[in-house]
Amino acid sequence: MKKKKILIVEDENSLHNALKEFLLTENFDVISAGDGEMAVKLAKSEKPDLISLDIILPKKDGFEVLTELREDERTNKIPIILLTNLERTEDIGRAFDLGVSTYLVKSNYNLKEIADKIKETLKLK
Amino acid sequence: MHIENDLNLKRQADKLGVSIWRTPSFLFIIIGIINAVAMAVTYYISKQYDRPEFLVVAESVVVACIFSIGKYIIGQFEEIDTLSKMKTEFVSVASHQLRTPLSAIRWETELMLSKLDRGLNKKQRQSINTINLLATRMTRLVNDLLDVTRIDQGRLILKREKVDIAGIVTEISGEFLPLIKEKKMKVVFQSARKCKTDRCKPLSVLSDQEKLKLVIENLFSNAIKYTGAYGRIEIDLSKKRGFVVFSIRDNGVGIPKEQQVQVFSKFFRSDNIVKYQTEGTGLGLYIAKNIIEQSGGRMWFHSREHTGSIFCFSLPAA
Repeated sequence: MKKKKILIVEDENSLHNALKEFLLTENFDVISAGDGEMAVKLAKSEKPDLISLDIILPKKDGFEVLTELREDERTNKIPIILLTNLERTEDIGRAFDLGVSTYLVKSNYNLKEIADKIKETLKLK
Repeated sequence: MHIENDLNLKRQADKLGVSIWRTPSFLFIIIGIINAVAMAVTYYISKQYDRPEFLVVAESVVVACIFSIGKYIIGQFEEIDTLSKMKTEFVSVASHQLRTPLSAIRWETELMLSKLDRGLNKKQRQSINTINLLATRMTRLVNDLLDVTRIDQGRLILKREKVDIAGIVTEISGEFLPLIKEKKMKVVFQSARKCKTDRCKPLSVLSDQEKLKLVIENLFSNAIKYTGAYGRIEIDLSKKRGFVVFSIRDNGVGIPKEQQVQVFSKFFRSDNIVKYQTEGTGLGLYIAKNIIEQSGGRMWFHSREHTGSIFCFSLPAA
């Protein structure tokens, strides 16, 4: 089976690398974006199978990225998991309104659980 | 006792962090003295001169004095209130900032243990595992602090969803199983037993799933913490007049009677025999009670030292 391609959007280097390494060993292809602009660009050019998105990002925040990806036909079907430390109900509500499939609070999850959620979303389980 | 405390200016000044002559009690005494002096002077003046103007002027001076001192006192309270709000805000921001590095520590150590452990010996693995566990514990403390600041600022937002409370209890019992086994304790969950005869109708409540889990986890872990080896914990779920009542009883160390009024206050930790052997911030029950009350329920307890405790809460049935 072809490897699934995951786009990680995260500006905090250590978090980014840990997640990337973990997913690589779980047999995923991983591409990285450190800010919102890069995220939109890569999503359009690379067509990942799934995007893991942070909300607080340089240049464009997660909600802007979401809106742009939803407006584009090429990207509006890509499942998106929000991986963030914001947990206000209004943020969560807004994210689901924008078609996010899963909302995870970083400090409540470990890498294995995140990888499981990704597999679940991609129906690999 | 109370009056004595009110008059202990030094202590009050220390507590409020202001100098003695700025404490409310001191200023009240000054107001009293001014009042007395003013009355005496007014009386004297009105006897000396038979002119109402003097009286009016004297009265105005007295009123002005009292007014400005009163205003000063209120100003101080406002300042203290602002400071307290700033502190809460600071704790909130600082906690939030702590979460990212803590997540990084947890993830990096997890990565190392689960994926990059080639060449690590047993001791190294153990050390890394300890770092991971400690970072996880610290994350929990930070989350508790964040919950407290949310409660204090009235920003704790709870969902209202149908929650299978018996399911949560079973799930949490599972999480605590290693600890229960280690202490050779016996845990009895009543609802599960009744279930067989009662056609097994799941008891649902209206609450916030995640937060309710936090509450039960907290009560459960308290019961385990404060009960010795071979202890017994009984959990019961019942339905009463539109409410589901949860109770957890242990035969542990109990809470000394004189401390029972403080059980639900912030940072309270019982002065019983295991205080220093037990981890905890004293925030758990404060958070738990607030979550339950905000969901429309009540929380209460009974306890006797050296005999045990029972903690209960009610939630609207769904």
